[in-house]
Amino acid sequence: MTGTAGRPVGNPFSTRHVRPGALPALDSRGRPRDVAALLARLDAVGGSAALVGTHGSGKTTLLLHLAAALEAGGRRVERVRLRTVADWAPLAGAAWRCARGGTVCIDSWERLGRLPALLVAWAARRVGARLLVTAHRPGPLPTLLECATSPALVTALVARLPRGDAALVPGAADVDAVFRAAAGNVREALFLLYDRHEVRRRGPAAPAAGVRS
Amino acid sequence: MNVAEAGAAAAPVPAPRVGVQFDRPDRRYAAEQELAVRYDVAGIEPAAVRALERSVVWYTEGKGEEDLGVHRFERLEGAARLAEALPGGTIAVRLPASPLSYEGVVVKIRWCVRVRLFFASGRDFVSEHVFDLGTVPPARGAVERTA
Repeated sequence: MTGTAGRPVGNPFSTRHVRPGALPALDSRGRPRDVAALLARLDAVGGSAALVGTHGSGKTTLLLHLAAALEAGGRRVERVRLRTVADWAPLAGAAWRCARGGTVCIDSWERLGRLPALLVAWAARRVGARLLVTAHRPGPLPTLLECATSPALVTALVARLPRGDAALVPGAADVDAVFRAAAGNVREALFLLYDRHEVRRRGPAAPAAGVRS
Repeated sequence: MNVAEAGAAAAPVPAPRVGVQFDRPDRRYAAEQELAVRYDVAGIEPAAVRALERSVVWYTEGKGEEDLGVHRFERLEGAARLAEALPGGTIAVRLPASPLSYEGVVVKIRWCVRVRLFFASGRDFVSEHVFDLGTVPPARGAVERTA
């Protein structure tokens, strides 16, 4: 357990406050996810499943919370974030280390490509490793949960972020506006709130100087 | 101590209090200038401390990946060395030429003195005290994106 004091809050929407590991896992109405129930459901579907949702719908946040809960329950967990298909090597190593009951938590599973993904799923089954992945669409693994977003979710997240200057805290109109502008992508909506915070704190930028011809 | 708290220890035991006094009350230092601080730790039982780290670091904050640089780091363990560092001690270091403190829109660079306590219970506590290196003016305005 780490206690921290002294660092200024700064912009409450900066990366250190809104990265997936720092945010709570909330459902689309802004209520805390029932992680224990999700783990029970994961066991019920055989231990391998996908968290499905669009960009910025909370899949990675939920994956990290589920991984932490699995570890707290004494299970072996490996986390892999896929960037390209070339990341198959660390993924294979993680699956090997999770043989016989461990869980490989894979973010951005689709980046592997369809055929390599099927091969990894097959190899994991062979060695007894479980897969918990995030994906934008349902695929070969059972869907554990479809993540959805709403302005209520953004409101609930904002309420849980550290408070700096009370005058700069966004209101309901701000949340609605950024949610619409970000097309429901919560990560993007929080970055738009970062921009609003900076604008309000400093005032708008002066127009750029130009040369008239 | 700075004005805001970024978090608090979740354990029911009271949080330690670390006070830091800078040799420049305005906490503004020029590049390559000497920094000297005196820190005092209160609200702890010194025998419960397993180790103390004192450091001078910079970090970035903003919308992108975060970065951290350690300019000075010292870890003190064992009764004899901890007796020099608790309940108070000093940190003195010549600051580097860069990176300078910067209050940008997308990224900010902050310098701080950090005192970290590790307890025998496994708990730890970090206290950070921000200061400015250099006099780069803050970015004046921000442009708000709409999407």
